[in-house]
Amino acid sequence: MATLAQPDLTNEPKRPNIAKAGLQLPAVKDYAQVDREIMATLRPTKAWFTLLMASMTCLAIGAASWIYQIYAGLGVAGYSPPVMWGVYIITFVFWIGIGHAGTLISAILYLFRAGFRTTIYRCAEAMTVFAVMTAGLFPIIHIGRPWKFFWLIPYPNWRLLWPNFKSPLVWDVFAISTYLTISVTFLFIGLLPDIATLRDAEKNPMKKQLLSILSFGWRNSENEWRHFARAYLFLAAFSTPLVLSVHSVVSFDFSMALVPGWHTTIFAPYFVAGAIFSGMGMVFTIIIPIRKYFKLEHYVTLNVMDAGAKLTLFTSMVVGCAYLVEFFIAWYSGVQVEQDYFWNRVFGQWWYAAWIMLTCNMILPLSLFSQKLRRNPAWLFVLSLFINIGMWYERFVIIVPGLSHEFVPWQWSGYRPTFIDMGILIGSFGWFFMWFLLFIKQLPVIAIAEVKEIVPPRLRRAASSASHGGGH
Amino acid sequence: MSTETKDLAVADVVQEPVRRRDFLKVLGVGGAAAATVGCYSDQVEKLIPYVASPDNTVPGVSTYYASTCRECAVGCGIIVETRDGRAIKIEGNPDHPVNEGALCARGQSALQGLYNPDRFRGPMKRQGDTLVPTTWEDAITLLSTGLAGVRSGGGASGAVFINQHEQGSFSGFVDQWLAGFGMPAHLSVDAEAPLSSIAANRQTLGVAWPAYDFGAAKLIVSFEADYLDAWGLTVPQQLAFAEARAKIDGAPRVVYVGARRSLTGLNADTWIPARPGSLQAVAEAIGAAITGRGNASLASAAEQAGVPLESLESLVVELRDSKPSLLLAGGADANATATAVAVNELNRALGNVGATIKPAEGSQAYDGLSSHSALRDAADRMAAGRVTVAFVRGANPAHTMPGMANFAEAFARVPFKVSFSSYPDATTDMCDLVLPDNHSLESWGDAEPVRGTLTLQQPTMDPVFNTRATADVLIAVAKADAQMAGRYPVDYRAFIVGRVGGAAALASALPTGITRGSALSAAAPKSVAARGAGATGQGDYFLHVYQSPVVGDGRGANKPWLQELPDPVTKIAWQTVVELHPETARKLSLVSGDHVTVSSAGGSITAPVYLYIGIRPDTIGVATGRGHTSYGRYAAGCGANAMSLLGVVEDARSGQFALSGGRASIAKAVGTARLVTTEGSARQHDRGIAQAITIDQFRAGEGVEHPHVFPGQASTEFLPGLRAPVANDAQGDLGDPLSTQKGQYDPAHWSGAAKRRWAMVVDLARCTGCSACVTACYAENNIPTVGAPWQGPQFWPDRTGFGANVTRNREMAWIRLERYFEIDREPKDVEFDPDFDTRVIPMMCQHCGNAPCEPVCPVYATYHSPDGLNVQVYNRCVGTRYCSNGCPYKVRYFNWFGFGEPDRAQYAFPEPLNWQLNPDVTVRGKGVMEKCTFCVQRIRESENRARLEDRELEPDEFTVACAQACPSRAITFGDAADEQWAVSRLVENERAYHVFEELNTFTAVVYLRKVNHPSPGGNTATARA
Repeated sequence: MATLAQPDLTNEPKRPNIAKAGLQLPAVKDYAQVDREIMATLRPTKAWFTLLMASMTCLAIGAASWIYQIYAGLGVAGYSPPVMWGVYIITFVFWIGIGHAGTLISAILYLFRAGFRTTIYRCAEAMTVFAVMTAGLFPIIHIGRPWKFFWLIPYPNWRLLWPNFKSPLVWDVFAISTYLTISVTFLFIGLLPDIATLRDAEKNPMKKQLLSILSFGWRNSENEWRHFARAYLFLAAFSTPLVLSVHSVVSFDFSMALVPGWHTTIFAPYFVAGAIFSGMGMVFTIIIPIRKYFKLEHYVTLNVMDAGAKLTLFTSMVVGCAYLVEFFIAWYSGVQVEQDYFWNRVFGQWWYAAWIMLTCNMILPLSLFSQKLRRNPAWLFVLSLFINIGMWYERFVIIVPGLSHEFVPWQWSGYRPTFIDMGILIGSFGWFFMWFLLFIKQLPVIAIAEVKEIVPPRLRRAASSASHGGGH
Repeated sequence: MSTETKDLAVADVVQEPVRRRDFLKVLGVGGAAAATVGCYSDQVEKLIPYVASPDNTVPGVSTYYASTCRECAVGCGIIVETRDGRAIKIEGNPDHPVNEGALCARGQSALQGLYNPDRFRGPMKRQGDTLVPTTWEDAITLLSTGLAGVRSGGGASGAVFINQHEQGSFSGFVDQWLAGFGMPAHLSVDAEAPLSSIAANRQTLGVAWPAYDFGAAKLIVSFEADYLDAWGLTVPQQLAFAEARAKIDGAPRVVYVGARRSLTGLNADTWIPARPGSLQAVAEAIGAAITGRGNASLASAAEQAGVPLESLESLVVELRDSKPSLLLAGGADANATATAVAVNELNRALGNVGATIKPAEGSQAYDGLSSHSALRDAADRMAAGRVTVAFVRGANPAHTMPGMANFAEAFARVPFKVSFSSYPDATTDMCDLVLPDNHSLESWGDAEPVRGTLTLQQPTMDPVFNTRATADVLIAVAKADAQMAGRYPVDYRAFIVGRVGGAAALASALPTGITRGSALSAAAPKSVAARGAGATGQGDYFLHVYQSPVVGDGRGANKPWLQELPDPVTKIAWQTVVELHPETARKLSLVSGDHVTVSSAGGSITAPVYLYIGIRPDTIGVATGRGHTSYGRYAAGCGANAMSLLGVVEDARSGQFALSGGRASIAKAVGTARLVTTEGSARQHDRGIAQAITIDQFRAGEGVEHPHVFPGQASTEFLPGLRAPVANDAQGDLGDPLSTQKGQYDPAHWSGAAKRRWAMVVDLARCTGCSACVTACYAENNIPTVGAPWQGPQFWPDRTGFGANVTRNREMAWIRLERYFEIDREPKDVEFDPDFDTRVIPMMCQHCGNAPCEPVCPVYATYHSPDGLNVQVYNRCVGTRYCSNGCPYKVRYFNWFGFGEPDRAQYAFPEPLNWQLNPDVTVRGKGVMEKCTFCVQRIRESENRARLEDRELEPDEFTVACAQACPSRAITFGDAADEQWAVSRLVENERAYHVFEELNTFTAVVYLRKVNHPSPGGNTATARA
């Protein structure tokens, strides 16, 4: 498909510094088409409504489970000491991880001028925000007295009590809140020109007023574009370290504890790679149906899918390497408790979870060495589901077998999640997809302004003599 | 809405003319405040001071009463702590000649009998099929008229009075009363009593129970005598045994002969797994080999017992070489008396009588005991319709007699049945009149455990319910009779005053509860001919029923502390299991938890399989004590009754029901169950948690570790108690070798808080694993039991059931007894091998100097105190459970439900069980972590008392609950920084080690290695380090 000649850049006017290199959208002819096709996705449909209802039903199941759990106590969940952390922390790490691919795509790939990000970044960034919103609930769901969760936040109080800054859980509070703040800001800043586009097309005066406010009165001036590009760049630069730091901090929740299998230095890079890997899985899970049902295949092209699949393959191999290194170190350390734990993980009590993890995260993604499969959306979609499952199980394999098989054999135990655990897990998907579905019908799921960056202006294409490149 | 908010709103409204805006403001603020306040689980309670304070009652200060324990026949001395008129804790009486301050789990649990929620609230009478409440006047009138009817009908001689055996004057008192009405003497029954040993002792030594000097023995051989847990005077025997084993060099070697390793068997160095029913042959053959008299050969005995001949031969050699020795015979097979006689004669031949067995200093605990045959004979008479009136007090024969005795059917035929029992049970439920007795903690009484020493039983509080002491009821009935009225004092207290020798003598005796004197003894029970051989059952396996060391014959089953206390051997709670050897299970294609039906002469029971390597492959073990049909919410429907398996087989010489030695068949039944156990893995996996050395290694000085010094570690020279390896703290600045800022950890700090360093030493050479410490901790620290059926999640009925929470490891025991087996063979290898070593280790919070739980808590709910405690602040805890993940010892427990919240279904202390709660200790709500505090309330109480008295704490002035109860004196608590405290010397013991020292946790709990005494022939597992 990538047959169009390179755009003529010789006579290019000075433009905002938005990455677009390497991306070509031959089927996208002009700005009007971009406006028309992307805004067409915003019309609510019956299918959308059905999905939204399904999500909200899932959410209701989760909410009911949580309310019952708060009322009755955490005993209704499947905890079986010493497995004191279970589905909730697994799901917390799962959602936090998913967020990371979004930031990687929107921020890091932006700084690296990876053009294929342009058409999927909005979707990925929204995913980040909603994933972090979902993840942020889980530490509260998890704790024994959720109504006291604010004690983890440093706030001035007459008891002069502060949280314990040595505790990784307090670092988590900072990491997650920072991450959410930056992600929301980044998403919103990126949306400004698009909201202005929607405003211009809107007929309903009330909605027009609202969009006008949300667009901060965007007038498409040179100055605004300059400031916009700066803000975008700075936020991308802010977000970039967060991709590394947030999940490192999450990994410290484990590596700072003395649990065999947790107490290791590899955890930070291992978690970051896993996070990006799982996020790429979720991006595919979301973007493939979107490009199909919104008929955006000529925006999210197979080239884009191919590039994303390569990133997935790479992170899969990093993660796989980390798995193998863990086994090697357990053997090499000579620490018997550690060795027992890894044996039990793969060949003992938890073999099924470990093999689900290894199959989904290490073996199946190897198929992406085939270009045919990389360019096959159906396979990518199926694979992405496996990756989601595999990455949930990765966190299961880290958390549950570690706790169940610790130093004191007398306290070895098992773990069986209950309906409440599962209800809240389902509820988290309902919560995430509810926000996501609401988002895609209110705001453009592909960045209109950034796509227009790639599409040559009509005048120039007609005459190659445009004086300037306005009119976004 | 909270009261305050409401009042404020009303006040505002009343004082000024209300403007609409103000009203809305108040409403809004009030509503918001109410909504916020409403989120808190804390309830507003009122404190009401006494208008006129009772004498000698200071709020918040305990009063102590010396009394006598009545939970079993032994009669230990107890000190009952009461607070504001309620008994809250029972300790052993240190001055008492029997238990010297120690107390077992069952003794501790008397409180849950006192406050049992299922106790009768008052007298009951039968109306149709049900018992209905009545008044005492009515009840006593009913009893009197009933008795008058019996007498006028000439049926007085057909009366049967069944009393739970207890030593003391009551037995004589009740016999006099019965005689006054022309009724025969009562039956003093005890299903747990070792009748055969008693009969043999009487025959060979002339006393029911001699004193055993374990310390003088060089070799102890037990023939199924579980002297640590379920045979005889367990607490004094444990005290003596632990003292003997603590000698290390010169400590006795222990050999256990029997089909199943009981707790005593697990504490033995060598196990000779003789078949059930073969003990007599073994004992007689050994006797013949040693004395040269008799013709029993070792070879045929070994053949009969199914053990290698060498094991008996080496035992004979050892017995010849190690004098004096101590041979004990328990057991409950059909020839148990003959076995015990043979063993006692062997004792005499070896010169042990007088050296390790002292008949003159014996216990009187079993004096006046009736035999099981006498009870069976009474049942026979009932069945024949010859019994006119039956009284039952305390005992529950419908549950504790073998199934084939059909006691319940026989009892039903008695026209007038009166119960004095405190709880509804299978026997009392059939009675026509229930006159509930006071609990022993509410009544007067006495006992004479040792000849010439009278120990008193006094009420420690007013009766919880509308109950009356049986003796007082009997007096009231007698007063109604013109002939008898004059013989009785006003009440039983007056009777006791008379026994002691006047009110002044009583007053002077009560503070210690001990005086000189003797109890009014009953006439020796009439001997009843035993029926002898009966149906022993059919099947491929031997049936070995044994008395549960925890719930006993079943009387402990209505106490949640005992139900939740894991059996010291099987570690099963809230459940009856069928014990099979793994080899047998493999042969029958059974796995742990499979339901099986065991059938024998008396019937069959269905229960899950528990795989136990300490039982012979041809033997099925089942414990008594569960399977009640009645007996309250904690007992009814829990487990199966092992007694229902049994036919009526009586030992001809003692009249004891044979529990062991019958035959049984086993068949797989439908379904499986999760075992209600606290056992994770029963192997240490070479992690060195419970360490042991052999006596030879000990003598050679092996296994002695010196405190490790790590390069670069912060200097801790300034810390007190560094002579002990417990005094380290790497928290904060203390981790920095160059820092001079030691804060409160510095003894020179103005607060003086770091002066002490609380520490604990557990001597594994003493610890037997009896688990008394666990129940003591439950009692002291308000630990909820979690195993009742309604304490699981309420959402799914299938998740409830006895022990549902325990199957998810949610038990809350702050101190637990881990029990590991050391085997030379691979765990996969299930072939029978009697040569394994058992390690028990009490595990509680180690109060690490460098605690992994402390830095991870996000809200400082756990932190380190300057005096070395790892402190948990319940109010601050939000329940992240991170601390538990950090803890390598896994000693932190989480409140999964509102076990401590009265409005919850899962509430662990239904009224009036909550009366027992220790007011010094918080009752934890749901969602918070908790753990052993080193009884911080006792530490602070003692410190405060010392400060008020303007003095320093005296060395060993107080101790923690587990150490105080421990019947083997294995736990020592104190200040490791002060060399005058015992603990500071013990931490320097050559056997000292820390669990997981390699993790740098610097624990404040030091364990002393167990010392094994392998046989001269060499049993290898015992020799493992």
